[in-house]
Amino acid sequence: MMQWRVLLQKEWRDHVRNLKILWIPIVFVLYGIMQPVMFYYMEDIMKAVGNMPEGVDMGITDMTSADVMASTVGQFHLIVALIVILSFMGVISKERKNRTAALLYVRPISFSAYYLSKLSGATIVALLSTVLGLLASFYYTMILYDEMDVWKCAALIGTYSLWVLFVVTVTLTASAVFSTGVAGTLAFLLTYFMQLIDSIIGQFWTVSPWKLGTYAITWLVAEPDSSDFWLSVVVTVIAILLLVIIGIWGTRKNVENIKI
Amino acid sequence: MSSLLMMLLPIIIIQFILMIVALIDLVKIPQTNGPKWLWAIVIVCGNIIGSIIYFIFGRKQV
Repeated sequence: MMQWRVLLQKEWRDHVRNLKILWIPIVFVLYGIMQPVMFYYMEDIMKAVGNMPEGVDMGITDMTSADVMASTVGQFHLIVALIVILSFMGVISKERKNRTAALLYVRPISFSAYYLSKLSGATIVALLSTVLGLLASFYYTMILYDEMDVWKCAALIGTYSLWVLFVVTVTLTASAVFSTGVAGTLAFLLTYFMQLIDSIIGQFWTVSPWKLGTYAITWLVAEPDSSDFWLSVVVTVIAILLLVIIGIWGTRKNVENIKI
Repeated sequence: MSSLLMMLLPIIIIQFILMIVALIDLVKIPQTNGPKWLWAIVIVCGNIIGSIIYFIFGRKQV
C-alpha cells in the first residue's frame, strides 16, 4: 500500500509535468461543447454558407436535448478512445526503454504496486477528463435545449466511465506486456476494431463490453434492458480484473527486457 | 448576433488556452521530435488538432 502511494505520487508528478492533466480535460471539454453549439446554430451556419435550395428542412431545428446529447456522445466516443490510447500506450513500455524501469526495479518494489500505480494514475486523468467533458456537454445542451433528468445524465456518465476504465486498462495491459508500437496497435484493435465487429454482427449477442457505449446513450431515452445491461457491466468488470492480472504478470515477465 | 458571440466565446477562450499552453510548453521544452519552428506552425495553424498532435507526438519523452 505504501509502495503504491509513493509510486502514484511519482505517476501524478509525471502527468503534471508533461501537462497531460491539463490538455486532455481541455480537449474533452472542447469536443463536448462544440457539438451542441454547432447543432444549435446549424441553421444560421447553413444560411451564411448559402447554396441551400428553397424550403429544405434538414430536421435539425426540432431536435430534442436527448438527440443532441446522443450525437455528442457518439462523437465523443471516437475522440476519447483515440486520445486515451495514444497518450497512455507508452506509459509502461517506454519506461522499460528509457531506463527508468531499471532504476525502479533495483529496489524491492512489488510488481502489482508498480502496475496498479500506473493504472490508477492513468485512470484518474482519463476519468476526470471524461466526466468534465460530459458535464460541460450536458450544461450546454440544457442551456440551448430543454431540461434533462439529472439521474439520466448521472447514469450515462456512470456507464460511460466504465467504458473509459475498460479502454485505459486495455491500453496499460498491452503496454505492460508488449512494446509501445505493438501495444498501441493491440489497444486499437481491441477497442475500435472490436466495436466495429460488435456493430456489424453484434445483434447475435447482447452482452459485451463494447456495447457499453450504446447502452450509455440508451439511458437518455429509456432504460436499457436491465438484465442485458447489468450482465454487460459484470462482464466488463471481470474483463478489467483479468486484464489487471495479465498486466501484473506482463510487468513481471518483461523484467529481462529492461534496458540498462 | 451578440448571443451567438456569447455562446461561442467559451469555445474560443478554451481553444486559446490550449494553444497558449502548447506554445509555452514548446518554448520551455529542451528538444522536440523534429524542428521546433515546424511545431510552432502546426500549433498555431492546426487549432485543436494541431495542439493535440503536438502533445502526443511532438514532445520528446526523455
